[in-house]
Amino acid sequence: MDNSETGKRRVPLAALREGESGTVVSILPSHGRGRGCGFVRRVMEMGLTPGARVTVVSSAPFHGPVEVLVRGSRLALGRGIAERIIVEVDEHNG
Amino acid sequence: MARTIKVALAGNANVGKSVIFNYLTGLHQHIGNWPGKTVEKAEGTLHFRGYTIDIIDLPGIYSLSTYSIEEQITRDYIVQEKPDVVINVIDASVLERNLYFTLQLLELDRPVVIALNQIDQAARKGIQIDSKKLEEILGVPVIPTIATKGAGIFRLVEKAVEIVERGSAKKKDYIKLGREIEDRVEKLAKMIEEANSQYPPRYAAIKLLEGDEAIEREINRVSPELVKVAKRFAKEIEEETTKPCADLIISQRYEMACKIAREVERFTPPPRPKLIDRIDELTTHRVWGYPVMIFTLLSMFYVIFTAGGYLSELLSSFFYNAEPLILGLFGAGTVGELVWSAFEGAVAGLTIVIPYILPLYIILYLLEDSGYISRVAFLMDSIMHKIGLHGKAFIPLLLGYGCNVPACIGCRILETHRERIMAVFVVTLVPCAARTVIILSLVGKYLGMQWALALYLLNLLVILGLGRLAFKALPGEPTALIMEMHDYRAPHLKTVLKQTWFRILEFIKFAFPLIILGSVAIKSIEVFGLLEPISVMLSPITVGWLGLPIVTGITLIFGLLRKELTVILLSALFGTSNFLEVPGFGPVGMVVFTVVAMFYFPCISTFATLVKEIGLKRTLLISISEVLFAILLGGVVYRILETILV
Repeated sequence: MDNSETGKRRVPLAALREGESGTVVSILPSHGRGRGCGFVRRVMEMGLTPGARVTVVSSAPFHGPVEVLVRGSRLALGRGIAERIIVEVDEHNG
Repeated sequence: MARTIKVALAGNANVGKSVIFNYLTGLHQHIGNWPGKTVEKAEGTLHFRGYTIDIIDLPGIYSLSTYSIEEQITRDYIVQEKPDVVINVIDASVLERNLYFTLQLLELDRPVVIALNQIDQAARKGIQIDSKKLEEILGVPVIPTIATKGAGIFRLVEKAVEIVERGSAKKKDYIKLGREIEDRVEKLAKMIEEANSQYPPRYAAIKLLEGDEAIEREINRVSPELVKVAKRFAKEIEEETTKPCADLIISQRYEMACKIAREVERFTPPPRPKLIDRIDELTTHRVWGYPVMIFTLLSMFYVIFTAGGYLSELLSSFFYNAEPLILGLFGAGTVGELVWSAFEGAVAGLTIVIPYILPLYIILYLLEDSGYISRVAFLMDSIMHKIGLHGKAFIPLLLGYGCNVPACIGCRILETHRERIMAVFVVTLVPCAARTVIILSLVGKYLGMQWALALYLLNLLVILGLGRLAFKALPGEPTALIMEMHDYRAPHLKTVLKQTWFRILEFIKFAFPLIILGSVAIKSIEVFGLLEPISVMLSPITVGWLGLPIVTGITLIFGLLRKELTVILLSALFGTSNFLEVPGFGPVGMVVFTVVAMFYFPCISTFATLVKEIGLKRTLLISISEVLFAILLGGVVYRILETILV
């Protein structure tokens, strides 16, 4: 994974393991049809803005959604969404 | 003269809005839909200190943009109907995210009272909130409440009335955004104020900078110049900050919400690790979650359909005793027959529909209130995605195997209008118990279970195929799951029962006339001797294309009413219950007939429900396309089987 100037690991949220946490860096717009920016805004409006701290609580099998803790609320995010949210992984996660 | 006050309840989903609504309005409420929408509208009244308070429960939403119809409804209602007070219900245990909505609501310039709800839940998570301080920061009254116990609700209403009596106080200060945006917002707001738009200036200014299309259209009508200025401002901001303006505003608003939350929240370690956390872990576990889910849903299925079956039996034996009475009263002739058919329609409604949707509503609300539905959605999301739906749709789909009527109603648990329409469509394709009767008593009995199973498989394939097709054809954002998983909590039984009661009343009022009408119409066909001519008229399809005996046309017409009756009718018309003896029917005919019966039309009760849930136009569209599809598929199956078997 590419390294930022801070030297921290940047990965899609979907790549975090259960219990790992990080900070949202950016959200990649959906390349599907429809209003691409609508997708980014919807994600942000649920609290996943750049800078927000996020922890993965659990993830469903069969490529299912990821459950995250963000701003004191727990959200289920479809795998496709979690793949487009880029986070900077906390170091102590190991 | 009693004065009337208009109060709107607004806030995130699952914050206890409907508990407060039911607490306030008691038995004085009316449930309907927002005109032309699949979104439910709940209104009620309360008499308080000589005032008549009209209360409306707005849909639960997370923002005031136009991402969803619910958001648009809320926004339009507040701006156009101008409620005297908006009660913003917020969940104290998820303060920050709730404040994000509150900050936007305050921009709409209506008097706001905040119900800081579920403080007991927050305390259990170790969160204490200084409501006085929150009141100071936001500049609006904040009343701590525990809606499920009725705590604080009286003060809430008192406060709302007080605000109306006092009249709007001094213009409060808004919570400011970052410099680069704030300056431009203020400039724009001033211009909007002069242009006399119906929207509150500051709100409109921010929305214009965000590039909100609905507001742009609105402002464009009063002053196209303003929209151009806003676009220029937004571009400048983007150049200065290198970020899209809308994203910046969302981020900043969240930062404010975060700052406010930090100032008023105090954390203590939660008292003890709770059983609830264990349950939570188990029910979303990647292995154990599934057996738990299957067990829960099967029990739900079992309860709904045994309780329903029992009730149904009871009611129908009671009502059918009235047949001789009615025929005696109106004579056994045409009039008597028609009156009886109207009565029978109502009885069908009462005995088929009500016994099943009553337990359904109760269980659905229990599952939703407790938070389990979101866990099911979490586990089933990836599978449901294959047909373009998200995880929550699994529950109505499953219900469909019992009866399509409660299943269509169950589609209400889906969040967006588009998802609801998609799910309703897929649900009508699911073989309900009545269709199962046809499959088993024709194909299963005469051709063997493997053929019956093959038909179920075919059905599944069709659902998959047509589901995907509808997903591609319906405009809108592809369904992606973003769903709150609120903590498990004990459902509030009183609210659940009230919700159930009013929705059933609403259903009876709306669907029954349609069911009765349909019943009379079909009876008239019979009474006036039109069965023969109609089946002859249908014969190019039934005989020519599907290769079925001509009388099947009649049974398919009656099947519109109740599909489980088609087989009985078929044996009556053939004059035998051994269908293998019937010339021109045979194994191929049975399969073809069953395939057509499986898909050709949602029964009249489902039709009535659909009209209520998604409107007449969409219902007709779905019904007609399903009829065409069933005929097409039946003919194809006929030809394939003929070539294979001959």
